[in-house]
Amino acid sequence: MVIEVGTELPPLTVTFRRDDLVRYAGASGDFNPIHWSDRMAGALGLPGVIAHGMLTMASAVRVVTDWISDPADLIEYGVRFTKPVVVPDDDKGVNVTFSAKVDKVADGRAEIDITAVAGEEKVLGRARAVVRVR
Amino acid sequence: MTIDATMVGRSYAAAESYQVGREKIREFADAIGDPNPAYRGDDAVAPPTFAFMLGSRALEQLLNDEELGLRLDRIVHGAQKFSYTRPIKAGDDIAATATITTVRKAGDVEVIMYETALTTVDGDPIATSTSTISHNRGES
Repeated sequence: MVIEVGTELPPLTVTFRRDDLVRYAGASGDFNPIHWSDRMAGALGLPGVIAHGMLTMASAVRVVTDWISDPADLIEYGVRFTKPVVVPDDDKGVNVTFSAKVDKVADGRAEIDITAVAGEEKVLGRARAVVRVR
Repeated sequence: MTIDATMVGRSYAAAESYQVGREKIREFADAIGDPNPAYRGDDAVAPPTFAFMLGSRALEQLLNDEELGLRLDRIVHGAQKFSYTRPIKAGDDIAATATITTVRKAGDVEVIMYETALTTVDGDPIATSTSTISHNRGES
């Protein structure tokens, strides 16, 4: 596998539906009601129930871990949560598309910038993974 | 009650260590919809963001510190970063210690950065989780 600056990783689109949020809440132990109650989300001024930021972050890094052969080669991973991902209460849910590009390769490490888009909006900022290059 | 720079450096250890189970890793991988075989079976490692769950357990101590007066329902997660020494794997018994590293105020909003060190119970490093949260005290 060639890892060089400018290499684009295969993109990934995931769909979040309400049941995905319930499943993530159960598995992660994060039962914040903004992830399952329209009433509570509205009370905080949100446009509706939103996906857990950590669920979006988990999905975004799949672009990288699907690409490298061993997830153990991930050294660093960070994101900013810039826009909420609103998940409607219907069967369609919301699509989030992740793409990534190698920004820097040096000293046995590759730095990869990740982009996350829901609708027309970027929902993560400064999303970056660093992997060990063998 | 407020939070200020004098609270930087406060450290909170999670009350109990976290015993990582193979089935918990699989459940988490299923919940994030990730079919990667590395997250399944006897030699399963945990997906990278699994580390946050252990950080949240240490954060509970921070939320319980009455001097800080933080409320979970007033917190928004602004940023998250992980540095990995090695992946978490089934069978690990992990200790988590959270330390407040930065406090910044903007009106009613307090931006707090805390770092959670994840180690084996014997002290071998596994990962560091760095979280930035905004807390809206909403007193004015």
